[in-house]
Amino acid sequence: MPKILIVEDDEKLRNELEIFLSHNGYLTEILKKFDNTIQDILNLDSDLILLDINLPGADGEFVCKEIRKQSNVPIIMVTSRDNEIDELLSLNYGADQYITKPFNIQILLAKISSLLRRTKMGISQEKIVVQGFTLNISKSTIENEYKEIELTKNEFKILKYLVEHQNKIVSREEIMDYLWESESFIDDNTLSVNITRLRNKLEELGLKEIIETKRGQGYILK
Amino acid sequence: MNFKSFIKDKILQISFLLFGIATIEIFLLAYPVGSFIKIYIPIIILTLYSISILIEYLQKNMYYKNIYKMLEKLQEKYLVTEIIDKPNFSDAKVLKEIIQETNKSMIENVNKYKYMTEDYKEYIEMWIHEIKIPISTSKMIIENNKTEATKSIDEELEKIENYIEQALFYARSNTVEKDYYIKKWNLKEIVNEVIRKNKTVLIGEKISINTHNLDIYVNTDSKWIIFILNQIVQNSIKYRKLDKQSEIEIYAKKGKENASLYIRDNGIGIKKGEETRVFEKGFTGTNGRKSNKKSTGIGLYLCKKLCDKLGIGIELESVQDEGTEVKLIFPNSSYIDMM
Repeated sequence: MPKILIVEDDEKLRNELEIFLSHNGYLTEILKKFDNTIQDILNLDSDLILLDINLPGADGEFVCKEIRKQSNVPIIMVTSRDNEIDELLSLNYGADQYITKPFNIQILLAKISSLLRRTKMGISQEKIVVQGFTLNISKSTIENEYKEIELTKNEFKILKYLVEHQNKIVSREEIMDYLWESESFIDDNTLSVNITRLRNKLEELGLKEIIETKRGQGYILK
Repeated sequence: MNFKSFIKDKILQISFLLFGIATIEIFLLAYPVGSFIKIYIPIIILTLYSISILIEYLQKNMYYKNIYKMLEKLQEKYLVTEIIDKPNFSDAKVLKEIIQETNKSMIENVNKYKYMTEDYKEYIEMWIHEIKIPISTSKMIIENNKTEATKSIDEELEKIENYIEQALFYARSNTVEKDYYIKKWNLKEIVNEVIRKNKTVLIGEKISINTHNLDIYVNTDSKWIIFILNQIVQNSIKYRKLDKQSEIEIYAKKGKENASLYIRDNGIGIKKGEETRVFEKGFTGTNGRKSNKKSTGIGLYLCKKLCDKLGIGIELESVQDEGTEVKLIFPNSSYIDMM
């Protein structure tokens, strides 16, 4: 599992970030003291660093620059300022990404996974094998030994979300939220239509009632 | 300065002079002097005096006329003291000194308020950055503890964020030019960002979004446009019809000299006659005064103000009970297109 180092001086935010990232399948490490920040960061040898721009004692930008001199670890700069100058500056200091507080949590996750993928550390796969079928991510299809069926963009995203949350109930709102985050602004009806079509396609692979409806709660992929 | 009032100012001088001439004439009557002298003395005195005050009048008149002319041409009239000629008569010298002195103190006073507003703006910006930290933390806590209650708090937090953002942009609205970086932007990117920002409410309230024809590039600063668009979309959400399926349609059209972005909703619309006033500061209108809407009359005012500063056109059309359409017009900037 990739290890993410959280360098943030607000204790509460730091702890919540730690919980959130570990829920999402990452190992986390936090820095509690900021008197020897640069050396501490380098010693911890993590796969990605979330670096707050306002740190006690040292400027995040300076820290970033110093780390870059010795390491190529991916850095995401976190700041509450939102102007382009700051963004340019931090990218100039060697940060790979930039995110502003209060940040969108899904965007944070997306940035982390894309950065890790680039450094080949991500939890990315070509194919996800589920009981009874395989979700082919690069081709956006579902397949078993006998058959391969193409999915539309939205069907693929919905199934991917269900697969990622297998055996858990996911609400319609959660699915829509996920789709909207990736810029498919579908409405309630379209979601129902897509789910029906997905069920039909899964049935073609011989998988009946694999997506169950939980009345008033959402769907579950068994 | 007219001649009449100038002479009026000289009335004491003139009457003293006439009295003096009269006494001289009386003395002369008592002595055996030739009538030539009796006539010559008053004539020469009066003539010389008249010439001298005429010269004085012309000189002063020219000087003041010149100042008036400069005043007319100047945009910032208080700067006139800096450019007027040095007068060669004493009352104007005194006056110039006095005006310069008062001007200086006025400018100091103005500066005092300038610093005060600047200071306050800096404080607001700093405060906004501070408040973002507890908001971030709260959002993380909610994310880690998802229940119906925290979801509801999340919605309220989003409202708080929007108010905070409005405050930040209000504070910045007078100094747009200091924080303006033009880049080529695809309208689709900007619109998607705004929709994403509002997704919790849009999904929660089952409002459908219909975007099309947005693959158009404009030269602008995305941060300001996202703010403006966000205000407009939030209005569409706020003033939706509760008894039917709400829809927001966002699309663009490319013209020869500009590109237009349309945001159309099927909400409650604006009462006839009020459409033109919605951009006024503090205007809440019939809709805004409905008890559940809590309109502040700031959102669209700020949109218009920012649009004006950014050189973007903003127009609004509405039919009551049918919906509202806002149009943003981005002029083509040939200069940037060339680069």
